[in-house]
Amino acid sequence: MTAEPESEHFQHVERGYVQVIRVRTLLGWLPLVIGATVLDRALLDGWAIQGALPVAIGLFALISTAAAPPRIWQRLRYGLHPTLLQVLRGWLFHTDTIVPFVRVQHIDVTRGPWDKLFGTATLVVHTAGTHNSIVTLPGLSPERAGEIRELIRGHIRSDLE
Amino acid sequence: MTEVALSADEAPPERLHPLMLLSGLGGSLRGVAGGYAGIGYLAATGRLDTALILGALLLAGAIVSLLVYWRRFTFRVGTDELRIDSGLISRTHRSIPFDRVQDVDITQGPLQRLLGLASVTFDTGASGGSKEEGALNGIAVARAHALRDHVRARRGQAPAAVGTDAAEDARPLFAMDLRRVLTAGVFNFSLAIFAGLFGLTQTMGDVIGFEPFERQFWTDLLANAGPLTGFVQDHRFGAAFAGLLLLVLVGLLTGIARTLARDFRFRLDRTGTGLRRRRGLFTLTDVTLPLRRVQAALILTGPVRERFGWRELKLQSLAQDQGGGGDHQVAPLARDEELQPILAELGWQLPQGPLQPVSKAYVWTFCLALLPVLLIALVQAAVLAPLGLLTLALLGLVVAARWLGWRRTAFALGDDQLLVRGGWWQRRTLLLPLQSVQSVDLTENFIGRRFGTAGIRIGVAGGSGFSAHVIPSLPREKASQVRNALLSRFA
Repeated sequence: MTAEPESEHFQHVERGYVQVIRVRTLLGWLPLVIGATVLDRALLDGWAIQGALPVAIGLFALISTAAAPPRIWQRLRYGLHPTLLQVLRGWLFHTDTIVPFVRVQHIDVTRGPWDKLFGTATLVVHTAGTHNSIVTLPGLSPERAGEIRELIRGHIRSDLE
Repeated sequence: MTEVALSADEAPPERLHPLMLLSGLGGSLRGVAGGYAGIGYLAATGRLDTALILGALLLAGAIVSLLVYWRRFTFRVGTDELRIDSGLISRTHRSIPFDRVQDVDITQGPLQRLLGLASVTFDTGASGGSKEEGALNGIAVARAHALRDHVRARRGQAPAAVGTDAAEDARPLFAMDLRRVLTAGVFNFSLAIFAGLFGLTQTMGDVIGFEPFERQFWTDLLANAGPLTGFVQDHRFGAAFAGLLLLVLVGLLTGIARTLARDFRFRLDRTGTGLRRRRGLFTLTDVTLPLRRVQAALILTGPVRERFGWRELKLQSLAQDQGGGGDHQVAPLARDEELQPILAELGWQLPQGPLQPVSKAYVWTFCLALLPVLLIALVQAAVLAPLGLLTLALLGLVVAARWLGWRRTAFALGDDQLLVRGGWWQRRTLLLPLQSVQSVDLTENFIGRRFGTAGIRIGVAGGSGFSAHVIPSLPREKASQVRNALLSRFA
């Protein structure tokens, strides 16, 4: 591993993951939009600015749903080094996590309903650490997630022997 | 414990000590706290006989349930594992392999000490605060010690006799006399009693007519006090001063009392495979910490304590300390030279060479993040001068504290060890063997990126989940190098 990670070492996750983030973002905004609408109807009835709040929040939701997911996807990359797994993520707050394979305690591959719809899966790696003990790598194709799981599992086995 | 290998199934079943029925009653009675509120309510509303009947029922219930618990609770000690069978309707058969036991804790409450009993807890380091895992509440003290020796001998493959009896006469690794405990108490200044009082008056205030947190209470009191009112109002400054003095006194006394109860006759010994800590005034605790399980060491101090040369040493291990403390306290108040032998037992080589400071961006990014607060303060100052000035002064203090913290924040990286020092008020020095590293994060945020700095967060097993080990604000290049060095043994 070099001091500064070179870009060819890193792979992007499945393009379909953009849609997964998009759906999640939209669903995350939904309660706010509903809340704003209810608030608008109940409290601001008859005011001059009635209708402004839900429209503003709705617009904001649409803009962020359109703009944020590709950027988040762009930032989400991972690297498989001979003995390490590296995950880079975050748009405003960058995080660059490295987990040595031998430190992995167990591995999950999970697929939620949106994952199934867009053909992605999430790899979850558990270490013994209390802080940062769960490292997730979302947006992989199920086959790729399985491959990585087998790769890491091989290292756990060889460490024990 | 030199019998031939015995599986837990073949081992003879044992019960808890019958006297446990007596010592355990307190705990069962505490468990039905809701019932007392009912009794109190009934008694207060004049239905005394109903209250008595309810009380008798609760007592009978507690006794019967304890009897059933005792009757249905058996444990068997095999060579390799402990088996616990418990439960009346839903039976639980728990098996605890001694290989997985991190800690054998022996605790003796005041009543248990009178009866010669002890509670033994086998901590397997499993996550989740289920303290019920592997607890034997009330067996004879001798049996408790035998059990612990059994586990220790099994773990360390060393003769059990070396562990306990020899250590009894040997010089302890660290011990605290009464004077030291009292000194430690002074530094544990605590106003927790006021929080307790506050909670008590919130729930009971209406009944006992004592509500020191209501303005009405004091004005009524003063109105009734007559001449005293005049006196207090004439000497406002003196009254405020006396009140402050009282507050300090209460805080000091609380700290001393709590420390005395916890750390009385503190004694740390080196045993076969680990460290053994005994302490307590009313409740004696006896904890063994296998050295192999220690993940990191923390040396804590504060500005005042440092001035007098005092330090506190904690060890982070896979198991949790009693009372949910997280890290194991192995020296509550000690001199540097007293810590040396304890650290030497861990066999860690301290990094040599000077400490390296972190980037000054540590302060600047903090200031930038505070900009919104500064704006609010300025608006406040324009509209409502005194409040705004107060906010500005607070801001200044916070920034000054951050700057002082920056001056103290530094790290050193050795071949096998990382040392991180930080904090001005809470001064902590972390000693981390590189082999304890589980994962490493490099974090940047949108402010720090402007300064080209990144922080390092290190995942380490055990400890109290909230305090991650970090090196903040390093230049990007430097942060990468440090991370690679941290992970070099895995490459």
